[in-house]
Amino acid sequence: MAHPQLRTETSSDAALIRAWQAGDEQAAAELVERHARPLARFLAGAGAPDADVDDLVQETFIRAFRGVDRFRGQCQFRTWLLTIGGNVLKDFGRRAARRKVMPLDEGVRDVTGDPHEHAEASEVEALLAAGLKELPRLQREVFLLRAQQGLEYEEIAAALATTPGAARVHYHHAVKRLKEIVK
Amino acid sequence: MNDEARLESLAKRLGASAAERLDVAATARNVVARLREQPLRRTIWAQQNWLRIAAAVLIVVGGAAVASRLPRGSRFGAAGERSAAHGAHFVADDLNDLSTDQLRDVLATFDELVSSDTVAVPEGSTDLRELDARQLRAVLRSLEG
Repeated sequence: MAHPQLRTETSSDAALIRAWQAGDEQAAAELVERHARPLARFLAGAGAPDADVDDLVQETFIRAFRGVDRFRGQCQFRTWLLTIGGNVLKDFGRRAARRKVMPLDEGVRDVTGDPHEHAEASEVEALLAAGLKELPRLQREVFLLRAQQGLEYEEIAAALATTPGAARVHYHHAVKRLKEIVK
Repeated sequence: MNDEARLESLAKRLGASAAERLDVAATARNVVARLREQPLRRTIWAQQNWLRIAAAVLIVVGGAAVASRLPRGSRFGAAGERSAAHGAHFVADDLNDLSTDQLRDVLATFDELVSSDTVAVPEGSTDLRELDARQLRAVLRSLEG
């Protein structure tokens, strides 16, 4: 194992990735700490049951670190990570369907946690979450990357290997359908 | 606030509670521990070869099952058997051309087959990847019927 090198909080993702590739485990831990929460929000927004979010976040990072040689800076590391999260969630849904437990489209939500918090969850938010599950995967991911994560179309397109124009079209289709569901 | 801005505002709140509950430091420790336990090269090699083995087994077992259901001296006769064997051989030859995702799909089918009541999965095992060679042989023997 390589010795961790001195880093500042402003170390770029690229520098941390290089350090991880050189064997610095602390660099991997720092990348996890930096991106785990946005990834968890993305996965939960895309339909991951709350109880499985932690496992799915871990699995996404494992896949990302093992495949990091394929990351060539075509987009931000976080964006690339979110697309891997989408694949992890898809595989999770397949396994759940095979084992006939908690398929994603049943909208099963963890009811643990603060009951008051659950009571406060707005009906509209629940409608949006349900509506997102009805969308085709690409529309759902483009919508979340744009609306939830605040990414530009160029960034989304680079991560999903499509064009900014196509990403924009997917987003507008998603918004149109979600407006009908939420109104 | 127009509808689109309202949607974006709602989307930003989606998953916020799940993210808040995440113990980021523990997640980081777990990820690093898993990476340490399962080095990259060995994992990829083992996974891809396991997928190929599983796909090959599925084809051979499936072919044998179909062949065993054909009545002897049926209208297909020896030529039919040769054709079936040739087909299985042809498919098996193409295994090396399958991508990891395709192999994973084959494994998923195999997984379903093994999870059926007709196959004796060693006690305590929930995942084929956990099986050692001896347990795998036991599964294959039970598939042979």
